[in-house]
This record gives sequence, structure tokens and C-alpha cells, in this order.
Amino acid sequence: MAAGDDAPAVPQAPVDLAPIADFLASTLPFDRLSPAELADLLNSVAISYHPRGESFDAGSEPRGLRILRSGAVDLRDAHDTLLDRLGEGENFHIGGLNAERGEVRACVIEDALVYFLPDSAYQALRQAHRDIDRHFSSQRSRRLRRAARYQPSPNALLQSIRDYMSTDLLTVRGSDTLQAVAHAMTQRRVSSALVLDDTRLQGIITDRDLRARALTAALPAGTPIASIMTTQLETVEADCTLFDATLLMTQRGYHHLPVMEAGRLAGMITTSDLILARQNDPVYLVQHISRQDSAEGIKTLLEGMPALVVQWSQSGMHAHQVSRVLTAISDAVTVRLIQLAEADLGPAPAAWCWVGFGSQARAEQLFGADQDNGMILADDTQPEHASWFADLARRVCDGLQRCGYPYCRGEIMATTDSWRQPLHRWQDTVRGWTITPSPAAVMRVSIFFDLRPIYGEESLCERLQAVMLQEASRNSIFLAALAANALESRPPLGMFRRFVVERNGEHRDAVDVKKRGVLPITEIVRLHALAHRIPAVNTEERLRALAREKKMAMGDSRNLADALHCIQQHRLQHQCQQIMAGETPDNFLKPHGLPTLAREQLRDAFTLIDESQAALRQTYRAGMG
Amino acid sequence: MWLRLRRSRHRRQTAGTPLAACWRQPTPTGRTACSETAFLVCDGEMSSLDPATGALLSLGWVAIEHGAIQLASARHYLIAGEQAVGQSATIHHIHDRELARGASAPTVMEAFLQAAAGRVLVFHHAALDIAFLDRLCQRLYGAPMLLPSIDTLRLEQKQRERRDQACAPGTLTLAGCRAHYGLPVHAAHNALLDAIATAELLLAQIAHRGRNTSLRLRDLR
Repeated sequence: MAAGDDAPAVPQAPVDLAPIADFLASTLPFDRLSPAELADLLNSVAISYHPRGESFDAGSEPRGLRILRSGAVDLRDAHDTLLDRLGEGENFHIGGLNAERGEVRACVIEDALVYFLPDSAYQALRQAHRDIDRHFSSQRSRRLRRAARYQPSPNALLQSIRDYMSTDLLTVRGSDTLQAVAHAMTQRRVSSALVLDDTRLQGIITDRDLRARALTAALPAGTPIASIMTTQLETVEADCTLFDATLLMTQRGYHHLPVMEAGRLAGMITTSDLILARQNDPVYLVQHISRQDSAEGIKTLLEGMPALVVQWSQSGMHAHQVSRVLTAISDAVTVRLIQLAEADLGPAPAAWCWVGFGSQARAEQLFGADQDNGMILADDTQPEHASWFADLARRVCDGLQRCGYPYCRGEIMATTDSWRQPLHRWQDTVRGWTITPSPAAVMRVSIFFDLRPIYGEESLCERLQAVMLQEASRNSIFLAALAANALESRPPLGMFRRFVVERNGEHRDAVDVKKRGVLPITEIVRLHALAHRIPAVNTEERLRALAREKKMAMGDSRNLADALHCIQQHRLQHQCQQIMAGETPDNFLKPHGLPTLAREQLRDAFTLIDESQAALRQTYRAGMG
Repeated sequence: MWLRLRRSRHRRQTAGTPLAACWRQPTPTGRTACSETAFLVCDGEMSSLDPATGALLSLGWVAIEHGAIQLASARHYLIAGEQAVGQSATIHHIHDRELARGASAPTVMEAFLQAAAGRVLVFHHAALDIAFLDRLCQRLYGAPMLLPSIDTLRLEQKQRERRDQACAPGTLTLAGCRAHYGLPVHAAHNALLDAIATAELLLAQIAHRGRNTSLRLRDLR
């Protein structure tokens, strides 16, 4: 009993409830209370014991907050659907839950010792502490959303272009003459004008167009501007980041990009706008890669990557943005290796396309991604050309391996004959998969349905994708097989009664967040996208498209995107810590070592996956047999 | 009743003492439902296991009301001036220096008997604690304590015998019994924390025995 020397001579020893106070202080949101406030709170606490099988509902007396000291409780709705599973250190207010979502019951599934805070003390606590009040008032999904969206000190390049674009635009009509447009541009001192037909964006005209297409061709000054404007317009959305815009412009050689918002023209962003915002950005790395003339050179350049990623992550770059950059880099590496191989082997004997599969296609790579790629050859490819393509595949895949992208263990690589075929053979293969889907076949090919052209004749890839979407969307047996595959890996909801840990090998007591978090989401979203013929491959874009086309509720779409963000964010942080500790980055998170908040966020994310899987089971049960 | 009979023999000596005041409060009968019984769960630390030579060094207690442990009722007293702690400090971590700042035995007992009035006492291994309390009451008020009590250790023992389970030595310690019900590990050896741990054990015992019936106080004796 450590009464201090200056303690007054009170007869009663200080009531030392330290172990109970310590326990509460380790849980949310009580970690925010001072020791004095906690000691005060304990005066209102009662301890009770509830054996398995007992349950609480809206009418349970007394009303108040129940904090689990030990044991486990399931929250279920009126249809007996599992809403949440709570374990040690978590709490629930059955009255509050019922105010929010109707008939919720809390069922004790493992003998529970409960610290009970009566309603009066609970309400007083909420009134005295705004952040504690906020903690209790936010529903699980909202709490998760904030966690996913929270971004400390944003990097300049990650700001949206909305803040940098010019909105004072010069717009002209397609019927205006060359001279009138040139005059207006000179007066306004701008280098471009947008051609509008009523409110619809028709095209763009730039200084360069006037020079190259009008003056050089000696067109009469009265020619309508529509005849020389650029009509195949690439646009960006106003909430794109500066990084996205810069990447697009440097890759395609654009100097002007119209900015759209909700389908309407909102502004314009130019290279000079971007120069203002440019710092030591990843774009330069992409450009440097394209100037290397050997795999060794690229490898040397990439050696600084891990440190750079740690730096980006620390400066506030978000996991999905890091993924985009890493994917842009592996694209650049692939393209450069192909160009180097072509320089050696001579020009391609026929049209062809290099495609990336899986995470590269989805632009969702993090550290340690292996290569998943293939080649689509034009149908007129002759047998004697086969060796050129095989040679190229060998050189590129070897080069990727040397640059740190390991060979694919499942042999999903352009060097494998069945992943390097003419288009019609690819299309036949796809039909074969969808007609007789065996579980093994589905597992093997599911990543194939995420594909993106990296180099060469993009239309080959698009035509393959078209057949793929058509075959998949109308074949309910195939979709059911994909659903079964997506349900294979359950989210780890049980460990500490919440996370299930990997039980074998060196990763004992760790959760593979890629296998149990990222992949289930990817698979669920892919399935919905295929079923509704959504051509996007990036998971977030798929989710947005599903919501836009009303194939998925907006809330569900956002929740899944948030869950993915949250898991990827913790995965990235984990990998950054490993890099800083000199270890090889992996995907194994140890829940014991995580801070309480991180653990709660992950559990929320995994709960969402579990709910989505349950919904999937409902939707595609018919075909599952 | 048995207790009342024994008390009557001590009426005269105890008149006007806190013990007599405590006796005046009616205690729950055997027919009272366990969920409605008011308990006072107690634990003491002693300088020796022999009540003849040892002294009570500290006393902690907490009340159970409406089936829940009320932390606001938790009390913990160090008892000053009874006896030097000596070697036993290695077990309960109470040192003479701290005891000097404790309360006097009459003060502690008065507070304890006030809290105990109208309640059923609960101990883990009641015989030992009661022997010490009896001696203290005898010395202060001229009579043993004579309050109704139940023993979580005996309760567990009977429970196991009923199910023909052999009790390996050591399994009926407070920690052993708690583990049996899956209660969390607690840091032992502070009278109050042990009292709370005992109270949690009692709630678990009642919950498990009363799964299909509504348990009455006499079922715990």
C-alpha cells in the first residue's frame, strides 16, 4: 500500500483498485481518462458474471454500458444475423444499440465477467468528454471510415487538382472561325481554348494545333475551329490528385487536361500548374526508369525504393496512393524491359500486347508483389514467329526477377505457353473455364479476370476482356464457383476471439492480412464486377462503378472501400516498420503487438468482410449446389 | 436459530458495542434468493496462520447487491499496532512501516461490523479468517463475531464431490477455483483485491449452480 509520505493520517488505506483501473485504461475509449478520472469512475462500476447462453436486450435492467473483462458476446439483430462479436476489453450499450438499429440482442457465447457502468455515470462521462462521446456515438462503419480517411500532414502532390486548376476558362463554339479563336486566345493570353457545344465538351484547341494543323496546312482564316480541334479528349476528375494528373500528362505527353466534375466541365489543369506543386516526387523515378538501358541499371535505381516508400508513407501518403505509385513503377520497369528486349530482337513480327494480371492490373501493389503477366498475340501470328515472342517473354520475365519482382509460383507468366497465346486461343480458353468451372480451375484463373494492357496493342486486351465479361456475366454456375472461391478464406474474426492466427511455420500467432483481408475483398468485388459486366479492374473503381450503376448500395460500396483502405494502411505501416528494422517486408501482422485502436479498426474491417461474405452467400447460393 | 442462541449467551458483555448493533440487524434467511441476497465478501491478511499467535494485519471487503459487486463499497484497512509483521512480509508485502500508518483495531472492526450488518459474510477458506475475527471480537467486545457466513472454498469442494470429481491438491486455492470458471488471472495478496476476486468467484459459482433453478441462500451452505 504505497501511501505517500505526505499522505494525511486517514484511518482507511487508499482503496487500491489499480488492476481494474489499469484494465479499463487499456480499453477504448477509457484510455483517454486521467488516473484520477478513472478512480472516480470506478466508484460507479459494478461487476457481474454472465454464463454462456444468457442474453441482453432492449429491456434488460439495469441500463448502462457493459465492458467485457473476460468472455465473449455476440451482437445479433432481429433476424439473428451476427452484427459483431465482442471480446475482452470491448463494450456495448444494449439500450444505445437498440436506439440505433432496432432489435439487437447481446448473447453471451463464452462465460463473461462484466464491468457495468450504470446509465447515469455513462451519460455523465459522455457529457464531460467530447471525444468519448464521439467514440460512443459513432457507429462502427463511420468509425472505420474516419480511420480510413484520416491523413496526417498531406504531401503536396496528394492534394486534389481542384485547388490548382484554372476555372476561368476560354470556351468557344465549334462553328467559330480559326481567326476568331486565335484572336480570343491572344486577348486572354491563354494557350488553349475548350470547344463547347451548349454545355457538352466537344474538343480542345491549343497553340500547337493552330500552328501545326492550321498554319502549316494554310487553312483559310474562316475555317470552323471544329475541323482542327482535338476530339479524343482525355479528362481527369476534379478530386484526382496532382500525382495522378502529373503521371497521366508525362506518360502521354499532354500539356492540357480538362477537369470534369459530376459529368460537367469544371476547369483545366496545365503542365505549368503542376510545376508549381512539384517537389521530390515519385514521377521522376518513373521517368528515370524509362531512361535506363539495362536491367542492372533499373535494379540499381530501384534499390532506394523501400526507403523512399517509407518516406512517402511517413509524409502522409496513403496506402492506396503508394500502391498506385508502386504499380506505376512496375509498369515502367516492364515497359522499359520490353523496349530493351525489342531493341535486341528486332521489331515484333506481329501485333501483340503485354498484359499484367492481379494486383498489377488493379494498381494495388505493395511490397513483395510477384510478377503475374501474359502476352496476347494477334490472330495472324505465324508459327515461325513463336520464337520471337518466347524470347521476349524470357528476357522480360528474367529482367523483372532481377529487378526484384519474383517469378510467379503459379507460373502465371508470359514465359508459360498457355499464358502466351493468340487472341482467339485466349478467348477459347476463357470459354472453357466458364463452361466447366472446377474449383481448382476457378482458383487458378480468378486473378486472370483482373487484367490490364501494359504495352503494345491495347485493343487485343480489350477484346479479350469483352469476351471474358460476356462469358462470365451470363454463366451463373461460373459465378457461383467464383463466389465459393471468394468465401473460401474467412476473415480472422476469432482471434483473442477476434483474429484467427496462422497456426504453422514461422508466422505463428500472426495474421496474413493479404490472404485474409485484401484478397477476400478483392474477390468479392471482382465477382460483383464480373456479374454486372463492369470493365474496371481497380477495386475502388469497381466499387464506385457498382454503386453508380446501382448494382450495390452506396453504403456497402463505401464500407468495402474503407475496409480495404484500412487493411492496406496497416499492412503498409507494418511493412515500413520492417524496412526500418532491416527486415524483409511481409504480410504477417501480429495482433498482440498492435495498439488498441489499430486492433479495433482491423476488427471492424474484418467484420465488414464477414458481412459481405454473408451477403454473397445469399446472392449466389442458387448456383452453388 | 443456532447463531441467535449462541448470541444470547453474550448479550450482557456486548451491550452497547458495535457488535451488538450489528447483531440487531436481521440477516437474510435461507429462503432468500441468491440474486437478492446482500453479501459482504471479505479477506484478511495475517502475520501467521495460527490465530493463537498471529495477528490480523489488514482487512478488505466489498459488497454484492442485486447480484453484482458494487465497487463503491470496496474498503481496505491496514490494522496498526497489533503485532510486528516479521517474516510474513514476504508473503503479503505489508511492512511495519506501513502498518504504523494503519488504523487501530477498534476503528477497523467498527467499520467492518457496520458494513456487515444485515449481510451474509463470504470468505474463501472462511475458517481461518473467522478464527482471527472471532479472537479480535472476543478481545474488543467480549464475544465471538457470530455472523452468518458462507465459504467459496467449501462450496467448490462440495460441488466437486457431488460430481465425483477428485480435487487435486492446489486446485481449490482461490486462483485454482477461479481458473476452473475461466475467470481472469488476478494478482493475489492484497486483502481487498482478494476479496473482489472471491466475490467474482462466488458470482460464477452461483451462476453455474443456478443454471436451471433459482438458487436460494441455503443452497450455498
